[in-house]
Amino acid sequence: MNVTLTTRAKRVPARLRPAARVSLTPYLLVGPAVALLLLFGILPILVAAIVSLTDLDIGGLGHPETIRFIGLENYQTLFADPDFWGSLANTAFFVLIGVPTIVGLSLLIAIGLNHSQSRFFRALRSFYFLPAITAIVAVSLIWGYLYNSQFGLLNYVLGVIGLGPVPWLSDPLVAKFSVAGVAIWRATGLNIIIFLAALQAVPKEYREAAAIDGATAWRTTISIVIPLLRFAILFVTVTTLISWMQFFDEPFVLLKWPANETMSASLYIYFQGFRFNEFGFASAASLVLLAIILVVTAVNLKVRRVNDD
Amino acid sequence: MYSTLRIRGIGGTLVAFALLATACTSAATPSASAPAPAATSSAQPSDAPSTDPGAALAGTTVTVWTMEDATKFETLIQPFVDATGIKVDVEAVPWDNVNEKLTTAVASGDGPDVTQVGLSLLPTFTAAGALEDVKASLAGHPTLESATFLDAVAADKLTTDGTVTSVPWVADTRVLFYRTDIFTEVGLAGPPTTWAEFTAAAEKLATRGTGKFGYYIPQWDAPLPIQFTWQAGGDVVGADGKINLDTPEFKKAVDLYTDFYAKDLVPTASDFDQTAGFISGAAPMLISGPYLASAIKEQAPELDGKWAVTTLPKDVAGTALFAGSNMAVWKGSDNVDGALALLEYLSAPETQVAWFAATGSLPTNKAAATDPAVTADPNVKVYAQQLEDAKLLPLVPAWDKISAAILGALNDIALNGADKATTLDALNETVAALQP
Repeated sequence: MNVTLTTRAKRVPARLRPAARVSLTPYLLVGPAVALLLLFGILPILVAAIVSLTDLDIGGLGHPETIRFIGLENYQTLFADPDFWGSLANTAFFVLIGVPTIVGLSLLIAIGLNHSQSRFFRALRSFYFLPAITAIVAVSLIWGYLYNSQFGLLNYVLGVIGLGPVPWLSDPLVAKFSVAGVAIWRATGLNIIIFLAALQAVPKEYREAAAIDGATAWRTTISIVIPLLRFAILFVTVTTLISWMQFFDEPFVLLKWPANETMSASLYIYFQGFRFNEFGFASAASLVLLAIILVVTAVNLKVRRVNDD
Repeated sequence: MYSTLRIRGIGGTLVAFALLATACTSAATPSASAPAPAATSSAQPSDAPSTDPGAALAGTTVTVWTMEDATKFETLIQPFVDATGIKVDVEAVPWDNVNEKLTTAVASGDGPDVTQVGLSLLPTFTAAGALEDVKASLAGHPTLESATFLDAVAADKLTTDGTVTSVPWVADTRVLFYRTDIFTEVGLAGPPTTWAEFTAAAEKLATRGTGKFGYYIPQWDAPLPIQFTWQAGGDVVGADGKINLDTPEFKKAVDLYTDFYAKDLVPTASDFDQTAGFISGAAPMLISGPYLASAIKEQAPELDGKWAVTTLPKDVAGTALFAGSNMAVWKGSDNVDGALALLEYLSAPETQVAWFAATGSLPTNKAAATDPAVTADPNVKVYAQQLEDAKLLPLVPAWDKISAAILGALNDIALNGADKATTLDALNETVAALQP
């Protein structure tokens, strides 16, 4: 934010003066990053926006002359498709379970892990980070076996302690929680590390001052540590929110061919685009998802800013 | 194993070139005195067709995308490489990535010379114009003529417009797997041969207790309801070439499908593993392909002799799905002649028998399908018998979506208790909307 302000303020006088080199430097510095963003971020979105107005499918790829501009027809079909609304509702459900759990759980574990620098705690840190670095396919295989209704470990354990089997992946509602569970387990690793780093940046003097004032550990955490983690919490919330609105990997690998009840918006787009080869229609759906993510993120940032002021 | 394969493979080459030279269609056993093709083809130019691969194409490269095991495939084609001097680059593509890989190739125009195409994807990529129409070249390649292959994959059944965009490679079908030991245990004399016996057997098998079922319906098995429709004597394609599900035969198929659920004869878990279920006995009847036989043999060799396969139970007919893969020349290939030479080699009966020996994949070449080396296995005999009454899925462009809609509707009725009449009405509307 500060950078933009400075450049904006300097721009007018710089134009008046002959030595333009000074004001060029910041542009040169951000240039490569902006170029990459334009090339791999903005350009594909523009292409998708154009494609979303056409009936491009696999036949159109082979014979570009057959592609027709159909205006907003894809969007009309999309908004009339109950499966699309269903997939959005499922995504909202996943976000509502996933994001608060991940932020809360990661923070909790990070605060716990920050208690000590002993070898045991450092080993624990690696342990919690493991899910984040394990390949999703391996994760899905293992969890698939754990959840399996015939020979799964979870149902076996339930059987041993005298409880009935749970249809982990078969029942649509239970499957939502099973899939979200794996995703939460996977996502906490990285966020714990982010919180740990932020926790270690909390100045020791503040804690000491609080201790001298007679504050309990609980008081210190609530009144000093968590407010100082504001930015880390915002960062984790925003990134988690965005990734969960694009929720894809876990339901894709665990359910293979998900039922309507577990179809997330990203999966819906994937199936339209890559199973049915309806690229125009899938582009329309992905733009709608992009718009939703932009709005939610903007609201999120806005709310935080208001709170900060 | 390796040496047998190699000898058979070389035999394949010899026969392939013998066929080329003489346009003979019978699968003669190669004799030791047959001349080495690369050396002699140039010496006998008058006998050889104009597209003689040995002379003109030596040194060229043919790129192949296949979903087969690359090592086994390379071993299979080594004799072809040795004989023709054509370099073959084999790239293995996992089944899960085929659609993406081929779609990318269509978009970029950067494809192989030859690609394997599953029959389910064939209509899509034919419609996309991704595959070369080789009809005009068939005269120079007699083994690639339609008559070589099983009737279900005759050229006129693979495309609707008279073009030849692919040639058959391996066949696959569905048969009934059943546990003979469990059948004896519950007092069933033999496998069901009719739909009525099928349901009755499933009912009897399901009385064994909780967690024991009669049969298993894979919830992702889109061809299954179509297969039932064929067996009821109908078809899902109407006279106008469009999909029509508003027929008594389709309704009969739906009834059969949903009754298994209504009577609790099949597991409802979507993650039920059919191989594990068959081995444990939880699902003592399954309708599946030859790959299940390999999986059972591999995972439970001790079960040998306690299970068997048979042709599908009949209603009016016993028609099964014809699945499998074709090989196609990619449009834009700069080595069409080399590609066709390779396809000709792959279609030769001896090559197909060698491939069966190496992988268990069923031949599409008629002569190879009746070869004693193939039919010696009693299971394969059943597959071959079933392949005589097997059909391809409809070749309509919207098929993938329609098929997904059918499966969704049936599972909605069977698993979520949706009303049958309302759901089928909605399905018919969806199907109509998908075919403007």
